[in-house]
Amino acid sequence: MNRPNTDRSVMDLDSIDRILATEEPLLPSSGFLASVMQGVREEAAAPPPIPFPWRRVLPGVALIAGVSVWAAIEFARNGLPSAGTVSLALPHLTAAGVQSLEQASWVAGALGVSLLSWLLSRRLAGRSGLL
Amino acid sequence: MIATSKSATEDPVDPDLVDIDRVLAGDIQAFEGIVRRWQAPLINMAWRYCRDRARAEELAQEAFIRAWRGLAQWRRESSFSTWLFALAANVFRSDLKRFPTVSLPLEAAPEPSGPPTQHNTLQKEVSHGAVRRAVLALPPRYREPVVLFYFHEMDLSAAARTMGMPEGTMKARLSRARALLRRRFPQLEAQNDEMELLAPNTGKEA
Repeated sequence: MNRPNTDRSVMDLDSIDRILATEEPLLPSSGFLASVMQGVREEAAAPPPIPFPWRRVLPGVALIAGVSVWAAIEFARNGLPSAGTVSLALPHLTAAGVQSLEQASWVAGALGVSLLSWLLSRRLAGRSGLL
Repeated sequence: MIATSKSATEDPVDPDLVDIDRVLAGDIQAFEGIVRRWQAPLINMAWRYCRDRARAEELAQEAFIRAWRGLAQWRRESSFSTWLFALAANVFRSDLKRFPTVSLPLEAAPEPSGPPTQHNTLQKEVSHGAVRRAVLALPPRYREPVVLFYFHEMDLSAAARTMGMPEGTMKARLSRARALLRRRFPQLEAQNDEMELLAPNTGKEA
């Protein structure tokens, strides 16, 4: 057991230091070691986690993203009253069509935000294999 | 109390390294040696985070299992102890964030009433216990530096490494935390000063 160097420069050793630095050490209970090893063995025996099927999912995600972008552009063009220019596609949308597009764009937007937040959380957790 | 292993590259016969190599080669049983060597420090560290014996053991167990899972990710740039303590601190921190210990706000932490004397060890234990429990009532940003600083036997750099925080930040937070504790326990400060004057050789506990 090495005793590490103490840093007294933070403040002089005072009563609070003495109280907090001196505590009776706890001894592990008799079954602790066995319990940890049992947990480790269970972990080892568990099947490895199934990797996420990125190869199958990515084309779908890309397709959804593309459609979402297209839908958003179309909605913006047709939805704006001042947009009097010629549209490239779907020039005459019915009210129901516009509503469907709007709903689809919201869903796509939500999916995009979810994906971004998931990627961000993975990155923050330091386990990102994507970013 | 704390065993600090040397840097991974310094000691070729470091028992931790030997056991880790065996674990990574598939010998699960070799992990027992690691647990045996580090169980007391990890339980004591967890105890300082929660002051609950049963929970401290649960937290330490969880830390060991995480360590087992992540053993291959240890890059051996720092000592095994540094890596293990940092991992354990993460486990304890996130668990206590999800299930906080029931603690009073700092202002409500009871202050010892009577002056402890040399012969009144029970009273002294009570007052010391109040100070220790008050640490858990500190705001979270100050609590963990205090916990780790004293766990590491007042080794500021070890505590900073465990928290993954610059030493300067650690020092500032510690100073603030201790100021909060002093403000909360002014009577204790005065009493201890008096005790020191009366019995200067008994200042340091066993």
